[in-house]
Parts: sequence; structure tokens; C-alpha cells
Amino acid sequence: MSDIKLELDKRKTKLEKKMQNIMAGYYIDAKMARQNNKKVAWITSGGPVEPLLAMDVIAVYPENHGAMIGASKMGVDLCEKAEAMGYSSDLCSYARADIACCTVNGGPIGGLPEPDMLVCCNNICGSVMKWYEVQARHFKVPLFIYDTPVCHTDYTPEMKRYVEAQTREYFQFLEHETGRKMDIDRLKEIGKNSVEGAQLWQETLDTTMSRPSPMTAFDAFFHLALIVTLRGTPQTLEYYRELRDLMKERSQAGIGAVPKETYRLLWDNLPIWHRMKWLSDKFAEHGACLVADTYTSAWCGIKRELNRDDVIASAAEGYTYSYLNLGTDKMAELVLTMVDKYQVDGIVMHSNRSCRPYSFGQYDLQKIVEREKGIPSLMIEADMVDDRSFSESQVATRIEAFIEMLRQRKGA
Amino acid sequence: MKHLEEFRQVVNQSFGYARQLKKDSGKKIVGYVCSYTPEEVILAAGAHPLRILGTKETIHLADSHLQSYCCSLVRGILEEGLSGRVDFLDGMVFPHTCDSVQRLSDIWRMNIPFGFHLDLILPVKLDTLSAQHYMVDVLQKFRTDLGRALQVDITDEALKKAIRTTNAIRQSIRAIYELRSRNPRLMTGTDLYTLVRASMIMDRDRLNILLAETVAELKVKADREKEDTSLKRIILAGGICNHPDIYPMIENAGGAVVWDDFCTGARYFTELIDEGAEPIARIAGRLINRVVCPAKHIDLDGRARHIIRLVKEKNARGVIFLLLKFCDPHAFDYPDIKKSMDEAGIPVMLLEIDDPIPAEGQLKTRFEAFLEML
Amino acid sequence: MYTIGIDIGSVTAKGALMSDGALVSSQVCFTGYNTAATARSIYEGLLEKEGLKETSIEGIVATGYGRNSVPFADRTVTEIMCHAAGAYHLNPAVRAVIDIGGQDSKAIVLSDGGRVANFVMNDKCAAGTGRFLEVMARALEVDLDQFGTLSLQADQPAKISNLCAVFAESEVVSLIAKGEKRENIIAGIHAAIGSRVMAMTGRLGMWGVTTLMMTGGVAKNTGVVKALEKVWGNPIHVSPHAQLTGAIGAARLARVAGSPE
Repeated sequence: MSDIKLELDKRKTKLEKKMQNIMAGYYIDAKMARQNNKKVAWITSGGPVEPLLAMDVIAVYPENHGAMIGASKMGVDLCEKAEAMGYSSDLCSYARADIACCTVNGGPIGGLPEPDMLVCCNNICGSVMKWYEVQARHFKVPLFIYDTPVCHTDYTPEMKRYVEAQTREYFQFLEHETGRKMDIDRLKEIGKNSVEGAQLWQETLDTTMSRPSPMTAFDAFFHLALIVTLRGTPQTLEYYRELRDLMKERSQAGIGAVPKETYRLLWDNLPIWHRMKWLSDKFAEHGACLVADTYTSAWCGIKRELNRDDVIASAAEGYTYSYLNLGTDKMAELVLTMVDKYQVDGIVMHSNRSCRPYSFGQYDLQKIVEREKGIPSLMIEADMVDDRSFSESQVATRIEAFIEMLRQRKGA
Repeated sequence: MKHLEEFRQVVNQSFGYARQLKKDSGKKIVGYVCSYTPEEVILAAGAHPLRILGTKETIHLADSHLQSYCCSLVRGILEEGLSGRVDFLDGMVFPHTCDSVQRLSDIWRMNIPFGFHLDLILPVKLDTLSAQHYMVDVLQKFRTDLGRALQVDITDEALKKAIRTTNAIRQSIRAIYELRSRNPRLMTGTDLYTLVRASMIMDRDRLNILLAETVAELKVKADREKEDTSLKRIILAGGICNHPDIYPMIENAGGAVVWDDFCTGARYFTELIDEGAEPIARIAGRLINRVVCPAKHIDLDGRARHIIRLVKEKNARGVIFLLLKFCDPHAFDYPDIKKSMDEAGIPVMLLEIDDPIPAEGQLKTRFEAFLEML
Repeated sequence: MYTIGIDIGSVTAKGALMSDGALVSSQVCFTGYNTAATARSIYEGLLEKEGLKETSIEGIVATGYGRNSVPFADRTVTEIMCHAAGAYHLNPAVRAVIDIGGQDSKAIVLSDGGRVANFVMNDKCAAGTGRFLEVMARALEVDLDQFGTLSLQADQPAKISNLCAVFAESEVVSLIAKGEKRENIIAGIHAAIGSRVMAMTGRLGMWGVTTLMMTGGVAKNTGVVKALEKVWGNPIHVSPHAQLTGAIGAARLARVAGSPE
């Protein structure tokens, strides 16, 4: 048993190293783009990246950069710089950190490579549009907005026409910017890989259905990087196949991510990047395993019957009918499904000052989950990058009290 | 001003007024939250549009649904719903505006038992042909949805009539703004606020008559009175302004607000609707061409250019930005607009406001200091 | 069998000595800078008062913000559990607890056996906490202990609408400048706290609960209790031992110290 564990742990470390190497290589490529006569596009995390890959444009994700800034605890410094530039401290901290980073080329990787174009999809929030407008003025480069109307209750025929038209406009935009013709067959191939990547990612996340869970949401936050930044590439598929197999073996061998897994929890909202280790330890200390989260599963795509042969229609619907672009009650339905699927005892909600579409509605979500599943939830007030709004002692007390309560409820 | 008292009463008792109007006229009352709501479609359905603009009461019920980092406008609207103070509404319309209004719509739909609920998911970008087509599409859908909710057939004829009404209203308010811009002594800023706020509440036919008479009255007054050139002419900019108290503070410090760029002000009445066939397409045209809200995208520097143009056109000496706390679209725009203002040599003051506004003493000092600087 | 509960709050530290589930003796003092020393002196004070030796104490539980700096405690339990246990001890009919502490306020729902069924705490700002009251008392130059009595003399509570302690302070200052009666301002402050705390409580969806108890030092302020009752619509129970609730709960839980229940 311990031999297996040792071997699997070794493979896990190796895989984490691999991820870091892939990401480092990716950023080096992006920084060398000019020398290699390649174009760089900045794109939002939920945006349609496949057409960029089909056109050999390097896609760079300021949000992933924001997460790195947060994880390396450089957020406060950059946020303060943005505030000195006149940006309100109430604005999204990814945006603040990124905007400030452009003026100083600071941050963990010395700033992102300058963009030749910006692609903004507002299926995650409206802030990205304002943020990309700022960057379009700063870099004086063209901005393409992929406008995905909110599906409060449905994806309507009007929306379908609009987003499909935009998908074609997006191709034209890229053809204009790159001077090349869009290769639809290549795009289909990449789209297929993207879908497969999302499936592999889902299968990886689903290994946590077993008890004890072979991985935690904190692992998922780490391994997510590729599905965000390099989805649709063969390298990504290979990586996630390896990861899924490793997690499957861990679960078959009964190796849990958390020693003595007693409580299974679900995380809601973005990670608190600057307190990953601290939080991970805090929960593990009490035998609590965050077995799933609503954030990393957003890249699995929502299961709808899509005609994969019709690239334009399926891209339009896939990118519009996505988690944060739905009504709060639809999001709650998905959370309820996850509660059952991963058999969770409680939900930990990050009330994230930076993210209004994710956070507003959480109070209602809490009540729905309690009412429908009798499951309690814990609210943690924080910010994904700006740790000035984080109080360790307050959060520690809440986590401890929550665990004490779960223990009592389990005992009752 | 002859009709000022009536406007005042309407503003002070807005919900009482709407309840009474419903009782007297039998009209259905449809609430809305954003100036991109096509009032014309509501009017054409024989209903009465009522803009809900935050609350004057203490917010506590909404705190069980929205975190403290949500703006007071959105929390206030929800408070009015949860408290039942607007339970006379036959329905509520939520145009897609910003992230906070997006969730407000969900929370309203899930928690408010009275009235129908309609989302109007307008395009966020306005500068492409497909967005313009979608604008028409989605307004057609709104016409159908609203007609179904109110059980009426919204005809082209009714839409055309509604367009004539709102055009006349917009023309009158614009005329009043212009008269007052030439001579700010014609009426106080608070009175102008009252008149504009009343126009989002009152029966639009009655409003039309009162506004036309007010224009005539002010024209006579303008011919008689001499212009006061000593005033420091100011433009206010920002999202909403629901704070009539700030006008006397500026006026007492020797300033005069001669124009604004508010959702609750000039952005509402700029741009008329072409009268003619296919009224929905024409309503869409106005929503595309009107002065833009920062929650929408039409270009990269249009808002800065618009405000600079206003300063020149209205011969103003400075701009005061009122930034509602937690209003992301405006907060994102501000630094670059400020940069453009600096380059154009226009003095700017930023005032972050919450509901309620900061203590009077503190505000007065800031206004005075800014006006002294000009 | 003697047990001790020690509750180190952000402002005051409390100790409760219990014998077979009955309160025998208690201590209250300011927390101060050296929490370990404060805890020690409370502990020794309790022993001394009853003439007990350390060996006669069978369990000690520490709670509150300083719970981790009580080296002689057998274990620590959060104040949420302790307030629930304490309130249930003081009145077994209680099904919900509101505690307004120095830097935190919380609402707790209890199950029939007195266990914690759910809880919420304030978000990160000071509105609706004891700190908020302190800031306001300073602005008004009134002793905080007089707040309750004074607010009951108000004829028309002033409207305090700002959530932020800093802004609310300037709002209070401008009310003073306008000549608003002190009593009315205080009543207004209490109303603001009342609605804020009840809004938080509303997130628990505990409107079916009939017996609600307020615990903690702020419960001594009748003005706040009245304001909460006004929003709640029912009487709220306040024990004479309100301030000791956390310590009592800790002492109760110490009976089973060593084993997690």
C-alpha cells in the first residue's frame, strides 16, 4: 500500500513539474512571438480560443496572469499601483493587477507579451469588456468583442442568430488581422480536441466521486491552467489523460488527498489565489476534503445536445450557454447536481469582492441548497487576488466553527 | 414655475402617485431599471412606465440577498420589491445593463411574488451590423413578450403614437436644458432635477402638456431676464444622480450646473426617434445612436469626446464626476476620461458617492474648493 | 466535577467556573495586549474565589478570538459552538442565538438537542458589530454603558443609513451639527444595527424560529435589543448572564473535554 502511494505521489509531483514546464514553455513561446513572426492575442478565460489556434495566433490569458499574480502574492502591490492610476479599489482585482502590470512590466513573469489584438467574450462578466477597452486604448490594437447575451432562462433564437453572426465576424476579424484564410477543417479538428480536453478534464474531476477522494479542488485549481490556456492542443490532451489515469489509480488504491477524509465539501467561486496553501492546510487539518468546485468544472462545458459538425452553431451555443452566463436558479440546479454527484456534506462559498456575477446570488444559492438538500454552507469573505480584504483569524474561526457544526450534524 | 409644485408632489410621492394613477386610469404599471428600456413599447401597450431608482428608505431586506459590495442603486431597487412598497406593479422589466443588474433580475424573479418579470437582453456592443440586427430582433421579442404579459396586441400604430409622445417629451426637456444652460438663473438645479425625475414617473400625456407649458413659460422669462455671467459653469457627469441636495451646494459656492451626462439626465433625452414605418427598428436606431452608457460598447473614446464637446459647447469651466460606489462600468472609464480631460485642460473633480451622500459639511468644502480653483 | 470555560474576546475576556453543570463563579476583564496573561489571571481568579486547586478542575475549554493563546486549556472550541451551548444551557427552549461581538456578529440556529444547525457571520465590515457602537459612542462623547438608557428616551430615532462605520461616523457628526437630539441619534444607531443584524439573520432563513436569545456583552444594551425586537417582531430573550454565554458554553463543553463530544 505505502509503496503504491509512494510511487503515485512521485508521479503526481512529476506531473506537476510537467505542468510547470508546459506553462513556462508556453509563456516563452508567447514572449518570442514577435521574433517568430507570430501574432499574439489576449483573450478572456471563457472566450473562443479555437479560431485563434487555427490561425496560428498565440492566445494569452490575462486572467491566468492575474491568478499567477495572486498566487505569487504580488497582487496588493499591483492593485495599489492601479489605484494610484485612478482605478477604484472596488474594481476586479484581475483587471487592476493586469492594468497596472502593463505600465511597469512587473509581476511574476515580467509582464505579458504585448498583444497584436484583443478578443473579449463577455460570457463571464461585463468587467472584462471594460478592462479590454482600457487595454485597447493602452496598446492601440484592435478589439473584438464576442457578445454573448445572458441566458437568464434560455438561449433564444434571437441570441442564436446574433452569436452565430458574430462567430462569422470573428473569423473575418482574424482573417483581416492575420492576412490568412480560416481553415475550417483545421478549426474542426481543434474544436474536437477542445471537446475531448473538456471531457478528459471532466473525467479527472469525476475521480473525486470515490471515497476517499484522490484529489481536492486545490489540486484542480492548479491543474486547470492547461484547459484554460492551451485547450484544443494535443499536448493538453496527453497531459489530462495522464492526470486522469493517475487520479483513477489513486482512487483504486484508496489513496486520499486528505488524510482521514471525514467531510466532503464543495467550493463555490474563484479560488483565493493568495491563500491556496493556507486554506488547503486549514481544511485538511480537520479531515475536510474539497472534492469539487463550481469554478474548474465550468470548463467542462454544460451538457447540451450540440451538433458538433456545425462548428459555428455549436461554438455559439457552447460559449453563450455557459455557467456564469446563466440565471442564478440555473446555476443553483447545477450546484444541486454536484451535491448529489460528489456526495458533499457542505458548501464553502467564497464571497469574492472582485466578482459580482459569481458572488451576487450566493445568499439565495445558500438557501436553495439548504432547502433542497439540507446541506449547510459557509461564507468566506475575500478577494481572489487582493489580500487586503482577507482576515486569517476571522476565516479560521469560521472554518473551525463550520467543521464543528458538520461534526454535530453528522453526530445528530 | 407654474407646474413645479405638481412635479414636486409626483417625485415626493412617486409610489403613491403611481398607485393612484393605476386606480384612476386603470392602466397597468410597468416598472423598469435602466434608461435603455424602450418606454415607447410599454406606452404602446397602453401601460404606464415607471422607473425605479434605488430607495430613500433604509436598506435591510436586500442585505439578505446581496452582499455589501453591491451598489446602492441595485440594493435599493431590490429593497423596494422585497418591502412590498411597489406591490402595485403589474410587472417589471430588466434590460441587461451591468453584472449587478443581471443578478438583480435573477434575484427579483426568484423572490418577488407580484407582477410579471421580463428580461430584455440588449446587445452589449452597438457598433456592428449584427448587433444592430439583434437590437431590432430583441425589441421585437420584447414587444411580443410584453404584449403577452399584458394581454394586448401592440400595434405599429400604437408604437408610432408612443414615439410621438416620447419625442415631444424629449424635445421639451432638451429645450428646458438649453434655456437654462444659457441662463442658469432661470431655475435652480434642484428644480430641474425634480422636473426630470418626475418625467420618469408621471403619466406621459399629462407630462407632455406640463412640459410644453413650462418651456413656453421659461422662454418668456428668458427674454426678460439678463444672463448672469459671474457664475462658474459646471458640467456633471456619471451614472445616475438621485441627490437633489448637491445642486444648492454647488450653487451656493458660486457654481451653476449647465448640463450633465447622466443616465437620469441628458442621456435620457438626447436623440429622438425617427417617425415613420417600422417603428421597432426606429426605436432600436435611437438606442444605438443615443449617448452611450459605459456598460455598452460603441467605440473606445466616444464618452471622453462627448464630455469634452459638451464642455466646449456649453462654455463650461469644469466637470464634476459623480461616481456611484461599486459601479464598475463608470469606475473603469474614469481614469482614461480624466486623462483626456487633463490633456484638454479641463479641470475635473471626482466625487465617489454612495446612497446616502457624504455629510453635507464635507461635501460643501470640496465643492467650494473646486470652484475656487476654476 | 468542576469545569472552566474561558472566552477571550477582542475587547473583554470572560471566565466561567461550573460545577456539575451549574454556574458557580465568573470573571470579566478587558482582554488587553497580553492575552495569555489575561487568561491566566482569570483562571487563577476563579480558583482563588472558590478556594479550589488546579487539580480539582477536570476540564478547561478556551474560546473566542484569543482561544489559541490559552496554553493551559485542554482544547479550543469556536465561539459559535460555545454561544450555542451556553444559550441552550441558559434556556433550553432557545432555537436561535444572536451574538454581537466586538469585531464579529453572528446568528446561530440550534437543533432540538441544542446542537448548531446553521450559522452566519457578518461580512468583513464593522457595521453591526460592537466596534461600530464604540466608534459611535466616541463620536457622540457618550459612555457606551449609557447608550441603552438614553436611546429609550428618544422621541424620533434619527435616520442613519450608512453601512460603513467611517461614513456613519461622519453622518453622526453632521447630525450633531444639525442639532439633532443625542437620544434620537443613539436610537437611530441602534435601529441601523438592528436592521443590519437581522438582515444577516435573514440569510439563515430562520423565520420559523420562535425563541431567540441575544448573547454577548452588547445584549446588556437594551436599546439594541429593542431595535432587534422591532425588526424581528417578537420578544428576544436576554439572560442576566448574557456576557458570559460563551464562557458558560465553553465550560459546558469542557465536561466532555478530551473527547470531541
